[in-house]
Amino acid sequence: MSPSNRKVNRKKSVHIQLILITAVLASCHRPTPDHQRKVYMRGDSTAGYNRTHYGGGLGAVMWYYAFRPYGSYYGGNYYRAGYYSGGISEHANMGSNPVKGAVSRGGFGGNGFSVSS
Amino acid sequence: MQRIITAPRNNWQAAVEKLGFGFHTTDVPYWDESVYYSFTMGEITNIEKATQELWEMCLGAAQHIMDNNLYVRFGIPEWVIPYIEASWQEDHPAIYGRFDFCYKNGQLKLLEFNADTPTSLYEAGIVQWFWLQDMDKSKDQFNSIHEKLIDGWKTLKEYLHPGKLHFTCLKQTLEDLTNTEYIRDCAMQAGLDTKLVFVDDLGWNENTRVFVDMEEEPITNMFKLYPWEWMVREDFGRHIPEDNNRTFWIEPGWKMLLSNKALLPILWELYPNHPNLLPAYFDAHGMQRFVKKPILSREGANIDLVDNGKLLQYSEGNYGREGYIFQELFELPCYDGKYPVIGSWVIAQQPAGIGIRESDTLITDNKSRFVPHLIDG
Repeated sequence: MSPSNRKVNRKKSVHIQLILITAVLASCHRPTPDHQRKVYMRGDSTAGYNRTHYGGGLGAVMWYYAFRPYGSYYGGNYYRAGYYSGGISEHANMGSNPVKGAVSRGGFGGNGFSVSS
Repeated sequence: MQRIITAPRNNWQAAVEKLGFGFHTTDVPYWDESVYYSFTMGEITNIEKATQELWEMCLGAAQHIMDNNLYVRFGIPEWVIPYIEASWQEDHPAIYGRFDFCYKNGQLKLLEFNADTPTSLYEAGIVQWFWLQDMDKSKDQFNSIHEKLIDGWKTLKEYLHPGKLHFTCLKQTLEDLTNTEYIRDCAMQAGLDTKLVFVDDLGWNENTRVFVDMEEEPITNMFKLYPWEWMVREDFGRHIPEDNNRTFWIEPGWKMLLSNKALLPILWELYPNHPNLLPAYFDAHGMQRFVKKPILSREGANIDLVDNGKLLQYSEGNYGREGYIFQELFELPCYDGKYPVIGSWVIAQQPAGIGIRESDTLITDNKSRFVPHLIDG
């Protein structure tokens, strides 16, 4: 068989190079869902208290970010965008008003631990 | 198709972790290289041909569903129908899908089509490819997933909106992140400008009426590993049709029709007695042996296997609200007490390779293991 024929019949990739994923993921661990752990937290200054829960495994990092708002400066004003935490109910960050700014977050992602299919 | 027991590599955990495969073992093993499946080229050609043909049949079925307004069968909210049809007419880009097959006694039968958020792409495209490099690199494997993903993104590049291609998935799942970042890796290699934002963090700007990322950069193209059936029921779902950027969501809205098991009776109606299809209906239709499946479910949940009125096997779960379909029972083949399902990938409209998941029961659930394969003969 000629080399060109071999190439036509081959079913596998000739060469694989990864430029992003190995560095990003090699040291990650997989968090496990822990729906028993619950925390009650205030989402922002305009929403009521919400009963939420979060997956375990993130420890201090999660707690650090859970109560810190993030946002950005634009046109000399600071716009609060929400909180860097999946532990906050999406309802806590929904909606917009002059305090929150024009961007609302948390409207997706409340529906499961993994899409796995 | 043969099941071969083999010795795992001495350092297999380190070898797969070096690839970024961090979920090879959870509370139960997931990646299992103590066994592999061996296929003949004839069998692989059969799978490849069926994958191509079924993909084209699925596109025909999507058109048929729209032409005949069959949405009620799919449990799709009425408000999203115009968006689905627009995404079809405007040819919103798609990159991939995975057909799940049962291969037994020379017969290859479609069990379902994971058309929207198929996972195990990384295991199939990367981990098993490197396994074969160590095992016997002179052997072949039905796996050009990596090449086809890069080629696919290169082709789609000119059809995307100007701006970045964002990628999104849930924040707290390494499996989803690995699959998403792998696809992003391929897009970067195709020359696309990409950015990751977790779906939990996506923003909606009320003033400009567009979706934004964490830096409030407007989104115009978005690959999502997050199912449409969840999106349309969540708070931001209603913003999708009113998005001023008319963002391309990949997979596109029309995939809602193909990722739903209501597709299976439609395919059987359109292509009766096709050799790769099983009889399927919206009721038991007089069948004595059938599988009852929710039209929307994941990881083998809420499945009933019925044989002559007796419940052969079942699985529990929280699905079924939207309705069920009934498919003729065609049991998975049994190899040493294990039951393999073949996941056959279609990438950029072409058959691209397979991955095999093995279970201890007839229902492939979230305890199934990914097992590599090769072509021999």
